[in-house]
Amino acid sequence: MAKILVIAEHFNGKLEESTLELCKAAKSLASALGAEPAAAVFSKDDAMAKETAKYIPTVFSVTDAGLENYSPDGYTQAAKAVVESQDVKGVLIAHSYYGVDFAAKLAMVLDAGIVSNCNKIAVDGGQVIFTRNTYNGKIQENKKVKTDKFVATFEKGAFDMEAAGGAGAVTAVSAAIGDIRTKVKEIVETMAGAVDISQAKVIVAGGRGVKDGDKYKDIIVPLAKKLNGEYAASRPVVDSGWTEAARQVGQSGKSVTPDLYIAAGISGAIQHVAGMKGAKCIVAINKDPEAPIFNIATYGIVGDLFEVIPAMMENL
Amino acid sequence: MKIVVCLKQVPDMESKFKIIDDKKIDESQIAFKINDFDNYAVEAALQLKEKLGGEVIIVSAGPARAQKDIRQAFAMGADWGIQIDDPAIEAGDNFVVATSLQQAIASIGDVDMVLTGVQAEDDQSSVTGVMIAHLMNTPHVTNVVKLEVNGKDLTANRELAGGKNEVIGLSLPAVLAIQSGINEPRYPTLPGIMKAKKKRLDVKKAADFGAAASAKTEFIKMFVPVSEHKAEIIQGDAKTAAAALVGKLKNEAKVL
Repeated sequence: MAKILVIAEHFNGKLEESTLELCKAAKSLASALGAEPAAAVFSKDDAMAKETAKYIPTVFSVTDAGLENYSPDGYTQAAKAVVESQDVKGVLIAHSYYGVDFAAKLAMVLDAGIVSNCNKIAVDGGQVIFTRNTYNGKIQENKKVKTDKFVATFEKGAFDMEAAGGAGAVTAVSAAIGDIRTKVKEIVETMAGAVDISQAKVIVAGGRGVKDGDKYKDIIVPLAKKLNGEYAASRPVVDSGWTEAARQVGQSGKSVTPDLYIAAGISGAIQHVAGMKGAKCIVAINKDPEAPIFNIATYGIVGDLFEVIPAMMENL
Repeated sequence: MKIVVCLKQVPDMESKFKIIDDKKIDESQIAFKINDFDNYAVEAALQLKEKLGGEVIIVSAGPARAQKDIRQAFAMGADWGIQIDDPAIEAGDNFVVATSLQQAIASIGDVDMVLTGVQAEDDQSSVTGVMIAHLMNTPHVTNVVKLEVNGKDLTANRELAGGKNEVIGLSLPAVLAIQSGINEPRYPTLPGIMKAKKKRLDVKKAADFGAAASAKTEFIKMFVPVSEHKAEIIQGDAKTAAAALVGKLKNEAKVL
């Protein structure tokens, strides 16, 4: 039977949540296509493959000393071996730091179409239709592939996580892992000893709309202090050096779940939202009424943050 | 050191987006600019050139309007460029564009390094750089936040989640997808802008470099997402809305 294959992602002996999401997606997609859900796990041994088998009935395990660390060459060669040993219709990969590093390469090797950064999947007349964000989330598009096989990557949170409980079968697949041209020398922590905003009950975050570093200090920081909270930022603010990296919220920064999260001048790109959507109450202040941040906020003010925030201060 | 930077002109994401016939954006309302991530790639290339010598070449696929931003990169200090102005490429998918860019890069010869942004702000695919590397048969690193070159050896920090970096060693030639924040992109100077006008820009069709690839994916339609959830928008001028918001945070949400 044709298979929908999840490429598992693991770090430090732990499966990533995105893999559990993709197991869920593979099951529903496989059932809509009359296919079978499966996963492929690449590692130095089969411990992670056994772990993955709790979430999906069929697991293909490629083990090799060359797969101890992730590398695009190693993962592509291992995935190719699994796909070629099986009848694989589609490959599901997380749109993560690892997924974006090898998914397109795998698609090239398989001569398959790739649709990346998807958030939804549907089947229409036997065809798989992908939905993905474009233009910073302001517009979405539907795409399909023209090839027999597809490779697709998915945003984190696109699907619910599959619960553990199954006892799937682990099958070893042999692959000749050849030259790996990128060598991982070490993994370093860039924010050791820095401020930890993840425990704050109130967070006031500024984005690109704050305009410059002085305004960030004059507007965002005082509101955070007045509310006994922490100040934080979206990626462009940290990239511009207006505040330190440890205060960055989002996929590449911290995940936070405060009682109150005030997002000022933040458009709400998916990478930022991934780090704060668990906040109990979200306030969005933005002059663009179409900013995606209003789709996840509890309260919104469409207006100029330089007028709204001082007015809030007067009322506190 | 011969460094190519792949540059894409994209809409300013704060523009008003209007969709025509479920198929394309109404460009009359759009201001265009350099893809933010590519701006960091241009700066990274210029810094390497300043340190190691050589040249920085911009390769871009886009219509006539893209010349403004290719010349912006010239004004920052890039030496010359190739523009693939070809409607067939523009209508293609990531694979078609990547193939055409790679063919243009191959025509330059002896390129040591290709830099791209991690993604284009409009398409958000993050696949082009990896595809180019595969077509060039070179290694690649994506999400690069630090870069050191020592002869033919390269050390690149690849950003991971939660403030971690993977430190990766590889050899040139290579393709690197540059993450935002790696540097502080320079603003063009007035003399830079003057010089940019005279720099060489080869405007080409895809066929000038090789046979165009066929798309492996098909665009179906585009639409404005309908959110199941919308924020409660607090109306009124800034003062009124701010006062009402504080009231709601205290009494309704009870988070203050």
